[in-house]
Amino acid sequence: MIDPRHLYILATVLAALGMWRLLPRADAGGRLGGAALVAVALGLFAAGLPGLSNWIADCVFYVLAAVTIVAAICTVTFRNPVYCAIWFGLSLLGTAGLLLLVGAQFLAIATVVVYAGAILVTFLFVLMLAQPEGRASYDRVSFESLLAAVASIAILGLLTVAIAGVFQRSGESTAFPAPPQSAELHQKVLHPLHTAQLGAELFGRWLIAVEVAGVLLLVALVGAAVIVLHARSGRQSSGPQHPQSGGPQQW
Amino acid sequence: MARSASRTARIRRRQLVERRLPMTASITMHYELALLHNYLIVGAMLFCIGLVGFISRRNMIVMFLSAEMMLQGVALSLVAFSRVHNDFGGQILVVFVIAVAACEAAVALALVQVLFSRRKSLDIALWHQLREEGLPPFPAQPLPEQTPEKPQWPRLPPAGVQPAPPSELTDYRPDV
Repeated sequence: MIDPRHLYILATVLAALGMWRLLPRADAGGRLGGAALVAVALGLFAAGLPGLSNWIADCVFYVLAAVTIVAAICTVTFRNPVYCAIWFGLSLLGTAGLLLLVGAQFLAIATVVVYAGAILVTFLFVLMLAQPEGRASYDRVSFESLLAAVASIAILGLLTVAIAGVFQRSGESTAFPAPPQSAELHQKVLHPLHTAQLGAELFGRWLIAVEVAGVLLLVALVGAAVIVLHARSGRQSSGPQHPQSGGPQQW
Repeated sequence: MARSASRTARIRRRQLVERRLPMTASITMHYELALLHNYLIVGAMLFCIGLVGFISRRNMIVMFLSAEMMLQGVALSLVAFSRVHNDFGGQILVVFVIAVAACEAAVALALVQVLFSRRKSLDIALWHQLREEGLPPFPAQPLPEQTPEKPQWPRLPPAGVQPAPPSELTDYRPDV
């Protein structure tokens, strides 16, 4: 039996090299090799994962996880930012599927509606407003791609090895809590009226937090409007129309 | 006789496959624990891919997309923990993460719009020297070279008649 930590370490090294080859660089070669390296690394990560109860659950999980991760890698590595945003939308859909698989129905729908429906469209809107003609040089050359890839994927290696180590030790000691029984889960998290239970918890125990989140949303709304309006009025006051004005307008 | 021989061969092949299976699914553990393990790994991968993008990309909007991706990775881990502890706390935290991400996107995109209207570029490297008055400048690294993009022409199959050369070439007579 192979220790999954060895697989994860090997996969980390391959993934770091592959991400470096995939990131936008000045010498735009080696992208196919990078994609192959990353694919091998993802396969190694998948080989180290423990199997779920039956092969159908395995298949659903692996397909959703593969869609999520591959779309995430494409988001980070594509040159055209519009494609980046669209791949990010696909990654969000995969994440929503994973959330649905683990039983968080409300969060899956909220992810699709809020992220893919609202935030992503806003991103695309600003991108269309601000995108220069053609592909800009800052999209084709990134900062320190080797250092960024090695540092980030090293963190991934540490995290995965640590997670695998915790789960391997959990068989011997009682440090890890006992997994819940199916009947308990169907009483609470997997209840048939899952969303009603979540809402009762949200508006019962966490009511003050909901109020604070509402205030935060209001503040962000006002702040976004003020930032744009302030910049516009500041540009006008520093223009030739008001040469005597002492500074930017006070809000 | 031949049929029984093929059957024994099939059985032996299946035994081989079954002996090979524990190599791929290397550990067997409780379903909930396996689910938690897999979700933690996928969440960590999403987080680190977002980190790569946030560190290395120079387009401000792609940087914010990467930051949102890191939040998604954390959300996956939180929901998995919520299931294994049979408690709604993790899912409620994810609800608030989504709310904060929406606020962050609103403010960040307003900022991006303002910064773009100042410099007409989404390059974050143009704002390396952003600092308060009176502070010494940060010793920034030199920017990567601005190389012109290699044009990629479409490869068309040779077909049809050759088009006539443009008129300024045909009308040009150097001896006149």
